[in-house]
Amino acid sequence: MNVLITGACGGLGRALAMECGKRNWRLFLTDINENGLHSIQRGLERSFGACVAAKTCDLTDEHSVDELLAAVDAQGICFDMLLNVAGLDCEGAFLTRKSSDLVRIVSLNNEATLRITHAILKRRKADKAFSLVFISSLASMYPMPLKATYAASKRFLLDLALALRLELKGQNVRVLAVCPGGMPTTPEALRGIEAQGFWGSATTNPLETVARRTIDGVLRGKSVYIPGGLNRALAFVGGLLPRRWVAAAIYNRWSRAQKHWLKNDAPADTFAA
Amino acid sequence: MKTILITGATSGIGLASARLLAKDGYRIIGIGRDAAKCETAKQSILSDAPSADIAYFTADQLQQREVNRVSAEIADFLDAECGGELFALVSNAGCVRSWYTTTEEGYEQQFALNHLSGFLLAYHMLPYLLRAKGRVLITGSESHKHMKIRWDDVMFQRGYHPLLAYKQSKLCNLLFAKALNDRYGWQGLHAYAVDPGLVKTEIGCKSTGGIVKFVWEHRKRHGVSPDVPAETYAYLCAAEPAPEELYYHLCKKQTYSAEVNWENAARLFHLSERLCGVRYDERMQKQ
Repeated sequence: MNVLITGACGGLGRALAMECGKRNWRLFLTDINENGLHSIQRGLERSFGACVAAKTCDLTDEHSVDELLAAVDAQGICFDMLLNVAGLDCEGAFLTRKSSDLVRIVSLNNEATLRITHAILKRRKADKAFSLVFISSLASMYPMPLKATYAASKRFLLDLALALRLELKGQNVRVLAVCPGGMPTTPEALRGIEAQGFWGSATTNPLETVARRTIDGVLRGKSVYIPGGLNRALAFVGGLLPRRWVAAAIYNRWSRAQKHWLKNDAPADTFAA
Repeated sequence: MKTILITGATSGIGLASARLLAKDGYRIIGIGRDAAKCETAKQSILSDAPSADIAYFTADQLQQREVNRVSAEIADFLDAECGGELFALVSNAGCVRSWYTTTEEGYEQQFALNHLSGFLLAYHMLPYLLRAKGRVLITGSESHKHMKIRWDDVMFQRGYHPLLAYKQSKLCNLLFAKALNDRYGWQGLHAYAVDPGLVKTEIGCKSTGGIVKFVWEHRKRHGVSPDVPAETYAYLCAAEPAPEELYYHLCKKQTYSAEVNWENAARLFHLSERLCGVRYDERMQKQ
């Protein structure tokens, strides 16, 4: 199995890479962070004797993606699985953020994901099964005030995944959208989970479980994976209520959590989600 | 003047030991993650022991490249200031994590910091320790008991449990101390694991949250001051001839788990060499 992972140096990217390494799959990793990429490559080689290739790439830069694809083509790699992990989050009210930061969320989460997905799907072997994973978010289930752009960008991925799944069904391509809640990926993310108190902990998904079930899920042909029973229940209830109501309830909770957070600790501007 | 290198030396057990050992007349090299906290710790020790000789180095020991970098800096310092000898390494930095989290290498953080970072640092310090016929003191714990190494999943990718991952990392500490004795005891090196007991430190509150933080906040109230375990570190550094047992609590030898045997120690040693990308044998040849 040849697997391409984008955003491979982030918390979830690393956990997915280790999960694939454990299964003795061949990996091609990419990320914008060069040091991190070397570290995870070394870690995989040392842990599993895995066959790992890695190349840095800014997925929002077309030229950089062309270089990545040229490297893939030069080595004649045909992938059997693509894990679209690379993504950005940006906390805070819409007008308190620079517009360039907000646009970057869409550039990476959506535009870049489309570009790499299209290119890799085009390069797959027609007769072989292919697995395609989009890391969406629990935030994709509802409009989310104070995370408006991020949530909308994740909704894009969820809808894209569900639609592509049907389009590509006859072509032996399985498509999975993963919608995790908060995950303990970075110190900032941990502080965010803590700031939300009980609900933060309760909706947090363990990385190793998400990683394992994501891979198992896509191999089984699952369409949407929402980790955690409570998150599934929230998503279900959220689906029954008018979206305006859900948005109002979320706004209520987030504005309180963020006040608490800002009081105790300045939030980091961005972190991979 | 004998030199002692202490990790996690800006708070808790590491700081208390640094303070006590500085008072006892050792030159102290501390490693901490945060430059400002290193400076505060240094000033705090100097206020108690004005003539103490202390240097702090900053490194995030969760990341192996940081351990490698700081080791090179400390090696230069040992060559320049300490006659190329290190009398003792107190490998104390440790953490607790509520969730499965990984380092840059994708290694589970408790295993990476509590065991691998000390393993890699000791590798770099080995020639300096052997020259001094020195000692390695590792902060272990009574919680290493009733635990086995999960050889097929040391990083807890299946069924992560904070307490089990912690217990395993502490068992690793004892196994590493044993392996060092097995391999280098004949060259005069002594390695120990110290059980500090229940101590009032912040280990369970840093980057944890949820149930782990709650339980630790409650438990630590019953703990002793870090000055208590510091006595054991001071004892193991000062006692002549060097104590011969492996595991100490309150300056007395303790019994340890039957899992701490030659076979497991050697197996963990080889696994750790692979995960750190180093070979101890080659370290000595490089000198």
